[in-house]
Amino acid sequence: MISPAALIRRAAPVLACIGLLVVWQVASLVLKNDSFPTAVEAIRAIPDILGDKEALLNILASLRRMALGFCVAVLIAIPLGLLMGRSRSVAAFFNPLLMVIYPVPKAALMPIIMLWLGVGDITKTLVIFLGVSLPVIYHSFEGAKAVEEKMLWSGAAMGLSPAQRLVRIVLPAALPEILTGCRTGLVLALITMITSEMIARQSGAGNILFNALDMGQYDTVFAMIIIVGAMGIFLDTIFERVRARLVRWSEPQFDLPLSFS
Amino acid sequence: MKAPQNGRGSNDVSHGCENRRLSGRLLAKSVPYAKASDGMTVVSARPSEWVRPVTSKEPASAIIEIDRVSQVFQTSARRDHVALSDISLTIEERAFVSILGPSGCGKSTLLYIVGGFVTPTSGAAKMKGQAITGPGPDRGPVFQEFALFPWKTVLGNVMYGPRQQGVRATEAEAQSLALIEMVGLKGYENFYPKELSGGMKQRVALARTLAYHPEVLLMDEPFGALDAHTRTRLQNDLLNIWERDRKTVLFVTHSVDEAVFLSDKVVMMSKSPGRIREVIDIDLPRPRRRSELLLDPRYQKYVVDIERMFDESDEAGIAS
Repeated sequence: MISPAALIRRAAPVLACIGLLVVWQVASLVLKNDSFPTAVEAIRAIPDILGDKEALLNILASLRRMALGFCVAVLIAIPLGLLMGRSRSVAAFFNPLLMVIYPVPKAALMPIIMLWLGVGDITKTLVIFLGVSLPVIYHSFEGAKAVEEKMLWSGAAMGLSPAQRLVRIVLPAALPEILTGCRTGLVLALITMITSEMIARQSGAGNILFNALDMGQYDTVFAMIIIVGAMGIFLDTIFERVRARLVRWSEPQFDLPLSFS
Repeated sequence: MKAPQNGRGSNDVSHGCENRRLSGRLLAKSVPYAKASDGMTVVSARPSEWVRPVTSKEPASAIIEIDRVSQVFQTSARRDHVALSDISLTIEERAFVSILGPSGCGKSTLLYIVGGFVTPTSGAAKMKGQAITGPGPDRGPVFQEFALFPWKTVLGNVMYGPRQQGVRATEAEAQSLALIEMVGLKGYENFYPKELSGGMKQRVALARTLAYHPEVLLMDEPFGALDAHTRTRLQNDLLNIWERDRKTVLFVTHSVDEAVFLSDKVVMMSKSPGRIREVIDIDLPRPRRRSELLLDPRYQKYVVDIERMFDESDEAGIAS
């Protein structure tokens, strides 16, 4: 038996989505602008895109670049961030470099990278890699810095070498923080993926979107925005599930009831 | 918490230190000898308790030697702060030694130096004649902050040390389960540290350290973060556990009661710079029971005398 409060809580995300679509539909009907299709039109265009083999291949190519960029970034950023967090000299060396790169929009680097590496997969994957790396490095760094000294001493007394302590104490202890960085990184991967395809127009989900824009197929544009948004929600949900399982030990023990029921 | 209430009588013998109470010496080098029965041994009030007659005992050998150790820290204002000044101390095997002093007297730093976690600015500490250059499994720390591995269960924490030492998983698990039972946490093997209270966490920390069989236990205000009731229970349990296998214990505390209750020897430290002020042999019978000890005038005298000495030094500090 589900209480009414719980029912509302569970239905809330769906209600929010429906509410947004209704507002969209009404606004579009009122404004009557060619470049602003109704929600129904946009949703109707989705099966057309997903049914088209070429469009599907484009989207899959995007996802492949994103996955590759994300994974390589995580594999490099986590060790680097942890080392920076535990060694002052490593931090002193890399910090200025990262501080320079951090505020630069990664897409702004694309023209240069395109000059060097062309408009192919490598360029786009590299931009995704750069976009993901920084938040992951930053969070790994903060996580490693916050590891309690006494925990490391306890490990040292058991005979763990400095390298073992980094892998077997700093890494797990910083894991909640690292995964927070990875979650930000995942969303950034999706953003840089689309932006990179917007600049180097060759293939991919972003390419479909902007080609449609050029040709004035606004229902396709909005359909692509919905598709990209849905991909984001899907990936984030999957990641959140994995994250919650990995750091079960650090989550609050009991869920405090959010309502006063 | 179960513990051998009927402690082995032999425990009463081995604290045969001279009854050199409150002798004002700076260097802690009491040479224990076979103690003549001078009335300080237990004549148990309970007839059920069997007390072995006092026999001669070999003099205990030094396990830790601290030789003119000084530690200077740089403060944030870039000024040198002398945390420890010229400390020399010898700790005998199987002794329970407390380092007692006000906060900021460097007592924890001294413990960290013995642990190998901190390198002294000058002087040296030795373990069994070997200079201490870093941490090692022969010296097991227990910290006030518990420092458990939060991603490991209670069992995982306790097994960590033995596994690191290369003990096979099944064997390590069996030993660890026994230890968890000994510290009174049977049934909590699969709990994560966040699910435990402070007292329980410290029990796990103790079991985790005991699991890799260090020769010396280094306890850094282990009960400092606990409420009074839990603290008392853990003191009792620690004594019971210690009286079973008598490891050497170096115990840092700022509580006079705690130091006198637990120790064979209390090292009193004074503040800025951290110096040893006094080394006091606590000649009270073992096994010690709180209920008996608190009524014992000798225990009370130790506590009062030590507190008075701290007060005097405080006043001297104000006057100067």
